[in-house]
Amino acid sequence: MSFDTGKNYVYSHHGKTLRLWRFRRTPAKDVDTEGRTTTSGWHSFIYPDETIDSGLRIEYTAIEKPFVVEDPDENSSLTEPSSVSELSHINMNRMLSLAVVDYVKAQTAERDGNIQAKEYFMREFFNKLADNESNKNKAFVAQAVSPYAVK
Amino acid sequence: MTVLEVMERANSRDTKLVIAFIKDAVMKIQSSTEENLKVDRQTITKNTRDYALPTDLISLKTVSILDTEDDGKYKRISRLAYDPLVTEDTSP
Repeated sequence: MSFDTGKNYVYSHHGKTLRLWRFRRTPAKDVDTEGRTTTSGWHSFIYPDETIDSGLRIEYTAIEKPFVVEDPDENSSLTEPSSVSELSHINMNRMLSLAVVDYVKAQTAERDGNIQAKEYFMREFFNKLADNESNKNKAFVAQAVSPYAVK
Repeated sequence: MTVLEVMERANSRDTKLVIAFIKDAVMKIQSSTEENLKVDRQTITKNTRDYALPTDLISLKTVSILDTEDDGKYKRISRLAYDPLVTEDTSP
């Protein structure tokens, strides 16, 4: 039975591999059969010592359905086209779609050797990404007032 | 917004090239923001240390382990700041 997993496990990643380590805490003065004591406060990492079904949960960003048949601004159920055409929709909201336009303009400018224009459109691209993120945080913050507060 | 509209706004006529650029832009957006989050669950096997990261991973957000003694909650774990002294245990 896994317990207190937030404190007992750690991970590291090496390329495409995620390494799980179990944190083993040993008593400060652990005497072995030959009378030797471990260093005070010594902890070590061991391999996971139990099997946990669906025990590892990885949350990550990925590209899922970059193009869809329906307009994502008007439909909630979206299907991926068998082949992408000019009539396919980008699976992004309006702000991010405009950012995509800036990105395409930047890449086109770079192909034409216009680095100044490329840098301008990339700045516009990142500005729209920032706008899109900040648009989600426009909520007021509520705070409780203590009963003895001076009003 | 359709691919055709992007082409018109960017003044480009090469459909395949624009589609490739759009895919790059989507990749860049997913790398910088959290527009589309996915979750992958794997079984932890006793004495097995290595687990494959999802093949479509762009940016890793959180890693959690199931706490079976706390009503099945997944608890976020920390990343090691340094490699442990033991690089491999042949008889874990």
